[in-house]
Amino acid sequence: MSSRKIHCTLEVNHVEQDLLVHADETLLDVLREQLALCGTKRGCNHGVCGACNVLVDGMLVRACLMLAVEVDQRPVVTVEGLADGRGYTDIQQALVAAGAIQCGFCTPGFVMALTALFAREPRPDRDTIRNALSGNLCRCSGYVKIVEAAERLAELPR
Amino acid sequence: MEYLAPETLDDACRALASDGAYCLAGGQSLVAMMNLGLATPERLVSLRRIAALRGIETATDGALRIGAMTTHAELAGLDEGTAAASLLAQTARVVAYPAVRNRGTIGGSVALADPAADYPVALVALDGIIEIASDRGTRSVPARDFFRGMFETSLAPGEIVAAVRLPAPRPGTGVAYEKLCVVAGDFAIVSVAAVVTVEENAPGTTGARDTDIQVAVGGYGMKPILLSALGRLDDPVGAAAQQLASHGDPPGDHRASSAYRRRVTPALIERAVAAARENSRRRPLRARERS
Repeated sequence: MSSRKIHCTLEVNHVEQDLLVHADETLLDVLREQLALCGTKRGCNHGVCGACNVLVDGMLVRACLMLAVEVDQRPVVTVEGLADGRGYTDIQQALVAAGAIQCGFCTPGFVMALTALFAREPRPDRDTIRNALSGNLCRCSGYVKIVEAAERLAELPR
Repeated sequence: MEYLAPETLDDACRALASDGAYCLAGGQSLVAMMNLGLATPERLVSLRRIAALRGIETATDGALRIGAMTTHAELAGLDEGTAAASLLAQTARVVAYPAVRNRGTIGGSVALADPAADYPVALVALDGIIEIASDRGTRSVPARDFFRGMFETSLAPGEIVAAVRLPAPRPGTGVAYEKLCVVAGDFAIVSVAAVVTVEENAPGTTGARDTDIQVAVGGYGMKPILLSALGRLDDPVGAAAQQLASHGDPPGDHRASSAYRRRVTPALIERAVAAARENSRRRPLRARERS
């Protein structure tokens, strides 16, 4: 493996980051190891579990399946960037209120998937919620509470 | 590993000519394989800057040309005014998970040719054509010849899938994609794409009649299996099952046994054909008149 690094500029949680990355480093590698943003989890590292979900250009993606060089000049939002340091978002609060958190490892991925869902569809029904979460695994199998949290949020007057 | 992101198809083809060079489209399979140590490219040629690989063109007769870098999410949102667009949209909506659909591309899926992938099945059923670019120019291969086996296609080294073309469907055509999987977003245990042409008020009948049925089955062999000329039969599903049987036993794997696949596939074909007839009725009248 060549040690030659590539310069790229990522805008992570509204902060511009100048980085040197290896061509085979993923966005997940860079977030966790260079930027110490460890809210984005490394679960399966091959796209199945959804624990590394982040937003790139406002779109939900797997950080483990995107090479960091391909994210050059594009905005990234991780779970740390959602509430902007001011408490929690409605989605995060809904998960807490419903008791939708067990060990918590998968939670950031679910939060990002729900953030993408509610951004495009503020009143999703159960089927839509379950579909939106189809790419997220919870090894505690706590899906019922997670779906309930999203359903309650969808019904809240806003 | 070297990383290149050329801006033209010509440059990409040249860059791909070296040993150990891989095309990077959406990366939803390749990066996973790299992470697992199953692929170790010496050079990655990213296709993300090549404008010629993007965009969807619809001809006035309803024929489609879809750039290889079109994502599953983009295809899922296609206007279902024509049968070909409808089948692609139905298929794209059940490819993997939302996050993967935002990045994965039709060209990448076609070039990889996973035997349980979704698009190959739909493209074979629709008589699709794969447009291939290389430094020698472009050539077109019918989907039914393009897929040769497990992860095997008629692509030669240095060639890139540039686009997928779908001919204009005949008037009265309905389509459906039925996928059986363990959980939503997984690869198919078996999947069926059905293309049914229905003639309303057919002469000598009191109602509608299927004039043509073509079905492709995925996950049943190493490549999609085409079952054709099923129209105007009393029992098209039975005939399809009979044709299918001549292809031998389906594979057994961690998703399902061979016997299970054999047992459920006729039911899936029946469901797909019924849904395709229904889809034909639902298609807006203006689209049917136009085509």
